[in-house]
Amino acid sequence: MSEFALEVESLVKVYASRGKAPVRAVDGMSFRVPRGIIFGLLGPNGAGKSTLLRMLTTLTRPTEGTAKILGYDAVKKPLEVRKRISSVIQETAVELFLSVKDNLLTYARFQGLDKAMAARRASALIEEFQLGAEVDRKVQDLSGGFRRRVQVAKVFMVETPVLFLDEFSTGMDPILKRQMMNRLRAEVEKGRTIILTTQVLSEAEDLCDDILIINKGKQIARGDLNTLKLLSQGVYDITLAFDCLPETIAAEVATLVPIRSSIDANTIDLTIKTEEGRVMEIVSALSRDRRVLRVEVRGASLEDIFVELTTQEGKDIA
Amino acid sequence: MSALSAVVYREAKIRATNFTFIFWDLFFPLLYMLVFGVGVNSALGAPAGLGNVNYNEFFLAGILAMASFAIASNTSWSFFLDRDNGIFYEMLTYPMSRSEYLLGKVIFNVFIAVLQAALTLAVGRLLLGIRVHWPRLPLLLAGMAVGTAGWFFFYAIFALKTKRNDVFNSVTSVFYFVFMFASSMFYPLEPLPVWFRRAALLNPITWEIDWLRLTSIGIGNFRSILLEGVGFVAFALACFIYAVRCLQQQE
Repeated sequence: MSEFALEVESLVKVYASRGKAPVRAVDGMSFRVPRGIIFGLLGPNGAGKSTLLRMLTTLTRPTEGTAKILGYDAVKKPLEVRKRISSVIQETAVELFLSVKDNLLTYARFQGLDKAMAARRASALIEEFQLGAEVDRKVQDLSGGFRRRVQVAKVFMVETPVLFLDEFSTGMDPILKRQMMNRLRAEVEKGRTIILTTQVLSEAEDLCDDILIINKGKQIARGDLNTLKLLSQGVYDITLAFDCLPETIAAEVATLVPIRSSIDANTIDLTIKTEEGRVMEIVSALSRDRRVLRVEVRGASLEDIFVELTTQEGKDIA
Repeated sequence: MSALSAVVYREAKIRATNFTFIFWDLFFPLLYMLVFGVGVNSALGAPAGLGNVNYNEFFLAGILAMASFAIASNTSWSFFLDRDNGIFYEMLTYPMSRSEYLLGKVIFNVFIAVLQAALTLAVGRLLLGIRVHWPRLPLLLAGMAVGTAGWFFFYAIFALKTKRNDVFNSVTSVFYFVFMFASSMFYPLEPLPVWFRRAALLNPITWEIDWLRLTSIGIGNFRSILLEGVGFVAFALACFIYAVRCLQQQE
């Protein structure tokens, strides 16, 4: 069996529809993911994350290239792949006409779990996902957040070696989300490989051992958080809180050509790419002759890196 | 095997825990027999040229075919429900092949169709005094099974090819009208205009009804109906192969 959880080689997916130009949703991606890590796929809307995941989970056939999961080709051996994966797709996917408990038991049945084991795991997950009060209710009577819980809980009924999560935390409250993140780390310690996409960059920052940033179907950057931060050296977040927001501050900020900026009440936030020695000069210039209540200067966050990389048209940093 | 049983288990769970599904699958065709059939039987009597067969007896095969047609149509509509719920795409990542998924669904539908047939025959015998040829019951049930499977695969093609629920509903409404009325379901074909009769003879539901009529009340020419039966099996197989292809193209 392959030492890699994923091996993607020159993968292309083109969507063609009559009367419209073909769309290259995934455009020649090649990468490998070792086993036993949390691998994050990041990218703006329409970057090709979900299409990539759909090819890896055998839902969509690639136009060109190959994708192997634990050494099994997703096109030639789809059943072998499906036996080794479980996935939370982006859309809410639940059995609306079944109860919460029957959702879990039916999923277990598809995954070939025996009855006793399925019942034990279902009980444990119902407790862990705080679904006890809803256990016998039909899922169609539950709110969107609860439906998502049921959907995510299902994949923990089994212990497939690879787990795909497409924006798993959508609709989850912060406490459950935190709990889920701990659960995911524990799953990785047991040897599972987790491939996740997320729009919540702090989530990726907290969870992922390895991150691939993609945009317009292409790879933009790859590495762990520290490696990615190196790609974005010279990017700083500056926060200044004034007692009274100066009238000309917006214009002054604009002259600095920030990567992004925002003004909220008496506080300005800006992300800027500059030399280290210039940062304090900028802070001094913006606060001169003004009463400043708070100053913060930070190195780039994953969000900064993400924004910088995905807005650099045509520059291939990877 | 476990994949097939899982699909059957899922279908059974959904049906067994939702009364409306049970009503449409099992009881609605009975209402046709007890209201429409009895009404026509009382008002118009026996169809011409069929000896001592009354309308209730003549209509029995029509009811059975209608049930298999309706069960197939209702189940194929569930593709839309599953697609809207997202579960359809998730299920396609489960450890089973596309053909196992379709076969599992059809096995459950065949079971429901056979159950419905048993119920219809019992009600027909007990309440309407229909004289059923019991020794041919296995052939009748086989006809129900193949009929339901064939129509399910046929409808599945449209359900999988069509992206919009309203379009699918329009298609099925037209199918209901054309397939049921341009057939031997409600009336014998012999007194009808030649063009109508020819159209009805090309309609696979006529082949199914003729088989069910022969095996339930013994009316019809065995040789020509055997030929129709072979034609229906070929129709069902072709629909199955194409439906699997459509399922494989789902993205």
